[in-house]
Formats: sequence, C-alpha cells, structure tokens
Amino acid sequence: MRTKQDYLIRYKDGNLYCELADIWIDPSKPVKKALITHAHFDHFTFGCEEYISTKETAILLKERVGDNIKIKTFEYGEEFKINGINISFHPSGHILGSSQIRFIFAEEKWLISGDFKLQKDQTCKQYEIVKTDYLISECTFGLPIFKWDESNKIANDISKWITNSPEKTSLLFCYSLGKAQRLLNEISQTNFKGNIYCHGSIHKMNNSYRELGIDIKDTIKIENKKKIDELKGSLILLPPSLSKGSYLKNFKNIQTAFASGWMSIRALRKRSGYDKGFAISDHADWDGILEVVKKSEAKNVFFHHGDSEALSKYLIGKESINVLFFGK
Amino acid sequence: MSLKKFSELFGDLDSINSTNNKIEVLKNYFLSNDPIDNSWAIYLLTGKNNKRFISGRYLKNLFSQIYEYPQWLIDTCYLKVGDSAEVITLLLKNKTNSRKKKLSNISLNELLSKTIPELSKLNEEEKNLEIKNIWERLPEDYHLIFNKILTGTFRVGVSIGLITKSISKLINIDEEIISHRLMGNFKPSIDSYKFLINKNINLQELNSKPFPFLLANTIEDKIFKNSINDFQFEWKYDGIRMQLIKRSGNVSLWTRGQELVNESFPELLEKMSHIKDDFVLDGELLVWNFKEQIAFDFSLLQKRINRKSPTRSIQIKYPIIFIAYDLLEINGRDIREIKLENRRIELEKYFSKWQNKTENNITDIFKICDLIFPKDWPDALTYKEKSRENNTEGLIIKKKTSIYSSGRKKGIWWKYKVDPMQLDAVLIYAKGGSGRRAGLYTDYSFALWKDKELIKFASAYSGLTNIEIKELDKWIRKNTIEKFGPVRSLKPEMVFEISFEKIQISKRHKSGIAVRFPRITKWRKDKKINDADSLENAYELMKKIS
Repeated sequence: MRTKQDYLIRYKDGNLYCELADIWIDPSKPVKKALITHAHFDHFTFGCEEYISTKETAILLKERVGDNIKIKTFEYGEEFKINGINISFHPSGHILGSSQIRFIFAEEKWLISGDFKLQKDQTCKQYEIVKTDYLISECTFGLPIFKWDESNKIANDISKWITNSPEKTSLLFCYSLGKAQRLLNEISQTNFKGNIYCHGSIHKMNNSYRELGIDIKDTIKIENKKKIDELKGSLILLPPSLSKGSYLKNFKNIQTAFASGWMSIRALRKRSGYDKGFAISDHADWDGILEVVKKSEAKNVFFHHGDSEALSKYLIGKESINVLFFGK
Repeated sequence: MSLKKFSELFGDLDSINSTNNKIEVLKNYFLSNDPIDNSWAIYLLTGKNNKRFISGRYLKNLFSQIYEYPQWLIDTCYLKVGDSAEVITLLLKNKTNSRKKKLSNISLNELLSKTIPELSKLNEEEKNLEIKNIWERLPEDYHLIFNKILTGTFRVGVSIGLITKSISKLINIDEEIISHRLMGNFKPSIDSYKFLINKNINLQELNSKPFPFLLANTIEDKIFKNSINDFQFEWKYDGIRMQLIKRSGNVSLWTRGQELVNESFPELLEKMSHIKDDFVLDGELLVWNFKEQIAFDFSLLQKRINRKSPTRSIQIKYPIIFIAYDLLEINGRDIREIKLENRRIELEKYFSKWQNKTENNITDIFKICDLIFPKDWPDALTYKEKSRENNTEGLIIKKKTSIYSSGRKKGIWWKYKVDPMQLDAVLIYAKGGSGRRAGLYTDYSFALWKDKELIKFASAYSGLTNIEIKELDKWIRKNTIEKFGPVRSLKPEMVFEISFEKIQISKRHKSGIAVRFPRITKWRKDKKINDADSLENAYELMKKIS
C-alpha cells in the first residue's frame, strides 16, 4: 500500500508539491520553482526564484506585479520535462490563461484542475477534458445547492437591473481580473447600451485582454471627479475591496450589486450589504465538478478548496472511485 | 394576475434597502393587481399567515425520498443556507424538467385559496404526490414562494408599518386610519381589500378597533435640561402592553402586536364588563403578586399568553392584573388630543368612580399605574436604580403636555431603563446560526470560573457587529477542539462582556444560576481568560440585587 509520502504530488506546508521535480503549484510562500495555474493573487506569491505558466498568465501577471519576475512560459498542450516528469498546461476555463496542469511519470497520470469552470465564457479557452489516473480538483462550490444559470441570463438580469433605474448610477462589484471581462463581454450582448465605466484596476486588465485578442467592449476609466449627472443610468464596475469605506461617497444616488457565485444564497446576499446579488461564478458548480470527475476517468480523486467533506462522502457512496485525503 | 408579479415583488422587497423605494414598489404592485391578489399579498407580507402546512423537516424528507437524495447531504446544504424552503428550492433547480403543463398563469389567489388548502385535505401519500406534481408544474421562479408558504416561513423585510404607509399613500388617507383597518383579523378577500382602500371612513367599523399605540423612545441627554415638573413619571413594567376597550357593552383586549387576546384572559373581560362606562385604556398586562403589590417574573406571564380559555386553577395560579397608564376614549369621546396631565385627571376620576360604584370589586384585577414624583433629575436616577426592587425595568417619562399620537414619536415619551448587569465570561462553545446568519457560527455559549474549571452560565447570539461575527467565525473554525453535530467546543481564549437583565438561582443549570436576556456588549480583546469573572462574582451580584 502506498503511503502519502509516495504520492507524486502531495500537500506540504499547505501547498501542492511535487517532490520528484522539486516544484510547487501556486505556492503561498516563496520557493525555488513554482507552477502558476492562473494570475489571481491568491494563487501567486512574490519572491519565487522561477515561475512557470502559460503565456497569457505570464502577461497578466507581469501587468499586475511588474516585469521584475522570472517567468518561463509554455503553450497549452506543450509538454516539458523536469527530472523526467512530463508536465503540460491545459485550458481550465476559469479566466484568460488559466490552466489545469498534468504530470506524467512512469505511466502514471496526475491532473491538477486548478480553478475551473465548464460554462461557456467568450473571454477564455473552454475547459478541456483531460484523462488522468489521479485528479486533484478544487471544489469551491461543492454542494448541490450551487447550480449556475447560463451567463447570458445573468447578463440580461444585470441589464434589466440597470435600465429599470435610469435615474441611478449602478455599481457592480466583481473581481477585476476575469469576472469583470466576462461580464463586460456578456453585457455588451444585452439591451443595455449605456456607458460603462471601470475602476483603474479593471481598466488595466481590460486592456491586457484586448491586447491578447479578446473582444472586450470599450470602457471608460472612472475618474474620481466625474460629474454625478454624467453617471446617471450608466454602469460602473468596481473591485469588491472598494465596497466598504469612503470610496462610495464619490457617487450619489447609487444602487449596488455583487457578482459572485455565493450570491445564490439569500442569507449571504442579505449579509453582503449589497442591494442585489448576481449569482455568476468562474468556478464549477456541483454538476460541473461531478462531470469533470467522471469524464477525467480518474480512479483516485482528491478535493481541496471548499466543501470537500460533503463532496467526498457523496462520491464514495456513488461512484467506483477512491476519494483520497492528503492529510495536512 | 399571475404569481409572476408577486414573485417579482418578493425579489424587489428582498433586495431594496430604502424604505421609500419599498413603499414605491408596493404602491405600484397594488395599483397593477386584482383586489383579491392584493389582499393575499398584504396577508402574506404582514406575516398573518403563520400557518404551517408542513414542517421544514417534512419538506426535506419528501425531497430526499422523491429525488433519492441522501438526507445528510440536504442537511449539510441546510447549514449553509439556513432555511429549509430555500434549500429545497435551490436543489429543485433543473430537476423538474417534466412534460406536464406548466402552471405559468396561476394567481396568488389560486395558490393560496385553492392549491395549498386542498393539500391539507389529502392523506399523506396523496399530499406527497401532489407536492411533487406542483413542483414539476410550477415555474422555477415560484418555487421559493410556494415552499415558504408551505412551511409557514414566508418573511421579507416589510413591516406592517410599511404596508400601512404604502396603502396610505395609495389612497391618500391618514396612516392611522389604515393602521386601524389592518389591525386584528384581516381576512384576505375582495371585500377586505376594498374596505382597506375605501376612501370613505366608516366610523362605526373603526370604533371596534384599538388605537395605534404611542411608544416611548430611549432616553436622550437633552431631556435633563428640562424642568422635572414638565414630566410625569411611571414605573416601566415588564409585561405586555395592551389596550383594554369597552364600547357598546363589548369588552376587548388588544396587544401591541395587533392581536385580539380576549380568549386568554376571560376573567379580566368578565370583570370589566360590569363597568357602566365605555372606555379605551392603554396599559400593561402582568401576572401580579397581590400580597407584595409587585409584578411576578415575565416567565409566569408567558404561561398565560398562549393559553386560550385558561382553567380556573390556571387563573388562580397565575393571577393577572391590568395596570392602566392612560385613558384614550371615554363614553365615545376620543380624548387623545387633550394633554396627558388632563387625561390623567380623567383616568383617576373614573377609576375612583368604578372602584366605588361597581358591585364587584375590580381592584383584584385592575388598577391604574402609580405615579412617581422625583424632586429633581438625580432623584429620578435614584428611583430608576431602585426599580429592580419592585421588579420593574426602570422608568417611563412622559411630557405632561403630550397628546396621544401614534408610533415612536420623538420628544414626548422616553424609557429610562435600569443599567444591565454585566459579567466578563469566556467563550466555550459555538453553534451555526440559521436564516440570515446561516453558514456562520453565531450562537455562543459563555462560561465563568469555578475554581480552576469553566462552567457554562449563559448563551447569547446578539450584540456583535457583522464584522466582528465574521472575525469570530474565522477564529472559531481555527480553534475548535471538538465537533458535536452543529456545535463546536472551543479553545478557551476569548473573553466577552455579557450583559443581562436579571439573575436568579436555577436548579436546572449546572452553574446554579440563570440570567435573562443575556447579550454580548463587548468583545474584551484586552482581557485574558484569567481576568474573566467567577461564579462567585455572579452570586455576589445576585445578593447585591435582592
């Protein structure tokens, strides 16, 4: 029987680690070599000697943190070798450049899902089904209460929300990388034709997306001293960090909303303090996770990030696969 | 009109924070819907439908059975969502793709007067089948409303005051009149809605109902600048505020929650029916210790409130009294517009008349409140501090010139509550909250020292800010020693200041004491667990009070 120490990839100091290659995946502390699945800050830390990612992730990261990092890039599907292990990136559908990472060693396949979603998203590559023996999957929304609506339905709801209150300025809070661009892309296909303003952090990411060939509608960078009247009836995208504090005092007669998968729960919606919640996520819902588990044909599955207990227990009862635990 | 409109209204009311916008949305709803649907909407929104057709547990079991879902998984989801009706609604999503004809045009009236009542006539098997059938036929957007009505948990952030305001705006009639019309047993029907929006005010109809209550505000410092002689001082009793009404020979008793409670207190009604005059009295109902002339604990009153037609022995065991504060109407004359000091003179005059002329003695169930006469404000403070001795909560201070308007009107009546008692205690258990607090650990248990051991003495769940709740929730997850179902035992580390209203010996609790209305008043991050209070401190506090 294999012990945890024998796994090709295991948990070490709270991070995924491949000892044979001496390489870490999305480490939260500085290491020698780090594979980065995507450019969100909770998957990145400063101070690693070398980063490896997809080309798009590298560009987005540099845009966010500066050129002062050493990144080696590979195309999706391109295999590279470290200490005899074949490693490759595959689209995970989470945001532009996001990837799953596959390891092959001695005919044993491991797949780290990264953050992923199966839903259609015109701002990044569609999730690719990758076959594997071992699957390490995120399960941020690993409960059956999470079932996403089509994103165009949500976009239409957002459009209605804005146009129903023409005298107001609508502030939509969302993550500045990924979610914002996906929303912009979807909203441009709705009936809402008013002005869209974006916070600087979002504006910057929009430009990077455009440079990488993604179709993002024209947006205006929000200046602090915009006249209130000009903003009436328009949409402003802001990062969630600005929802509390004095920033909102710049605006008058506003309505606020938050775009996040958590907004599908009424209690969370109420507690969030936003007027409205739009349940749209860049993570897989319950059915999405189950589909990936099934289609990956993995015989062994680990879950991390989220409600792994429930999902594990459910699968143990249903499918003929092993649900494993790293132990921490 | 289809249920769609009501479903949208629910969504709007649920997401709008501004009161004015809510009123606007309600007004528009009433304008664009049938009277019958409107009357049902009002019935639901004012929380008058507390009827539970099936329990949340039943709903979850039924779903589990129909869709072969493990019960534990539904329960895990419930911990996150905090509401059975909503959990099932979320789980039903994309599950009911049936070819059955959709009930897209069902009206609120049809759902509430036909579909749901018919369910309760069926036997269990038929009922289950029918609920499944409705789930499959009802568009998904309506599932939440249907499930919530089924489980009697339909609640949205709308008060009866808000409904009153929107109807008042709709037909341009004073809120007081609408509030009258909404009191008591509002039964949904075309007529009840038409009566509600009737622009002609029917005096006779209105007369059978209580007046809107005038409420006291929390004391403000600026009051101390006024002369003490401008105010009337009363004890603040810890009972149930009520209006006792006798008109055309009929006596009725209304709570502030607009409930008619005649059936719970028949002995009071019987006694008062012998009085010759008609009247409307504002006062407090209490279980009364006649020997010592002070109120018994509120818990004894609770034994009477929910019991209809109490037996003679219950009436003797828990003797009630109605203490009148104010006279609002006498022999058909509405005197709310005259000054309080003059109303008091009238109240005293009639009380002495009733005492002397009524054949049976009313004083064993009725009296008027005693007034207190402090010399100056420091003296008033002394009275307030003494209020625990006579089982009151402090003082009520009323401007002598105030007229009896309605609501929590500013600047005329104040409550001056006695300071709470406090102990510093250690957090030892936490339990997940429900409803709005689902998914967070928000129910806490606190302990005091007994030698080297921490003994649980109180549970509390209110008093922290949302930010503190989140912070504490994080801490709880990291510092759990053991899980027992939804409860976690915690590393003793956090100290909180717990305030409460009353402390007494209790054999039921391990600590030997019980406290009333415990709540968190401060997170004492500055204190270590060794600084927390001991049970001995609690006993001392108890001695000091009694």
